[in-house]
Amino acid sequence: MSEEHKLYLKKIKIRKIVVLTIQIGLLIFAFGLWELSAYLEWSDPFITSSPSRIVLSIIDLHRSGDLWLHLGATLYETVLSFMLATLIGVLVAIALWWSKMLTDVLEPYLIVLNSLPKVALGPLIIIWVGAGRSAIITMALLISVIITIISAHTGFKAVDKEKIELLHAMGATKIQILYKLILPANIPNIISILKINVGLSWVGTIMGEYLVSKEGIGYLLVYGSQVFKLDLVMASTILLCILATLMYLSVALIEKLINRFYK
Amino acid sequence: MALLELKSVSHTYHSPEGETQALNDINLVVEEREFVSIVGPSGCGKSTLLSTLAGLITPSEGEVTIYGNPLSSEKDLIALMPQRDQLFEWRTVLNNVLLSPEIKKKKTPEVINYAKELLCKYGLKDFMQKRPSELSGGMRQRVALIRTLVGSPKLLLLDEPFSALDFQTRLSVCDDVSRIIDEEQKTAILVTHDIGEAISMSTKVVVLTERPARIKKIYNVDLDRSLPPLKRREQKAYNVYFRSIWKDLEVINE
Repeated sequence: MSEEHKLYLKKIKIRKIVVLTIQIGLLIFAFGLWELSAYLEWSDPFITSSPSRIVLSIIDLHRSGDLWLHLGATLYETVLSFMLATLIGVLVAIALWWSKMLTDVLEPYLIVLNSLPKVALGPLIIIWVGAGRSAIITMALLISVIITIISAHTGFKAVDKEKIELLHAMGATKIQILYKLILPANIPNIISILKINVGLSWVGTIMGEYLVSKEGIGYLLVYGSQVFKLDLVMASTILLCILATLMYLSVALIEKLINRFYK
Repeated sequence: MALLELKSVSHTYHSPEGETQALNDINLVVEEREFVSIVGPSGCGKSTLLSTLAGLITPSEGEVTIYGNPLSSEKDLIALMPQRDQLFEWRTVLNNVLLSPEIKKKKTPEVINYAKELLCKYGLKDFMQKRPSELSGGMRQRVALIRTLVGSPKLLLLDEPFSALDFQTRLSVCDDVSRIIDEEQKTAILVTHDIGEAISMSTKVVVLTERPARIKKIYNVDLDRSLPPLKRREQKAYNVYFRSIWKDLEVINE
């Protein structure tokens, strides 16, 4: 390795360290300032809460045993709706790919459903599926399933026509074209849909919990604001940040592992 | 009996904008071990002709026969090499090559061995378990050709398989493909817009007219076939054919 290249690698490494240091520094600074302003009563901690109060609040939740109940409820609803939305979305997209006729017939309906703010269906959902967990899951499912259908179908249609002709010339049936070409070719696309759906499922779940829940992070947020326990609201927000990031990172990791086979 | 025969084949496309006749009364006989190139002005219907031979299009009129039988019953004797190599990125080189037997549910140990044999024979031994992205453009083209060979077809259809390559690679891939087809004793039909490629690789060059394509002229190319295509370009007759075909196409373009 030449001296020049060593220097170049060193520069990259230093830059990485600098970025990380600033990132962590920024976090410590912000939380420090927050804590300080509460301590010196520049602001009213009753309204703004403070990092230490948040930690205490989380510890409280943990002691009472509620922490895992709420986290578990939200996580369960999110993961379930996320998986259902992906599964149903991809299956419908396959059906649309299979039948051009079906696509033509359903197209206007999909456009309407896609433009409709799904939250507007909240009251209907509660009446139809009951005010409980299934309503939350239905809400989260609805928010991501339509966009899943549309993006997956677009991906299916984008497969190179020449590849399809190649398989046709080999005498492939439609089902063979589906599982030898369309689906494997679309794995990267489906993974990127997963990444979008992670975010949407969180939106749907929290929204659903706002509407009907007796447990979960969304419930904590609503409850906390109603009884004006801002510590609880802040604590829930922080927990939500952590959970959503972890879920996103795990999908990103899967993407990284799979994409090695596609480049 | 001739390997392939086209009897007054015509084809018309229908679209909401109207109908377009692409092929008009094509008659052609291809014997075994021939290398036939089809040239013509762009958009004349060359690809339609090839799609017809690949069984992707059923012509509106006329018939295509393989050894006297209708094409539809002899599709296994034909293999297509598309414009770009169209290797599947998620499959290894070996699995790409085995695609056709897999589709036909004929992936027997013998076929797998044959595929490996071909890959070894043509310099891809160390790349069998690699992904297509790890191969050079020329090697990818060789893999695409071997993919057509594993089903032991009689007739190879090459749809401008070199058009995506840079000029240098193109010339060497031409030599490669020509040698492999020769060694494997296959018959081939090549669609191209490159006159030089057509003359240097073929035993016969078919010149088509503008759309709707008819056969304008057929040249029987008499060049020393013991030489690779690149060397054939240095023979005297090559230039004579080139000028003549060039003129045929020029007249059409006016």
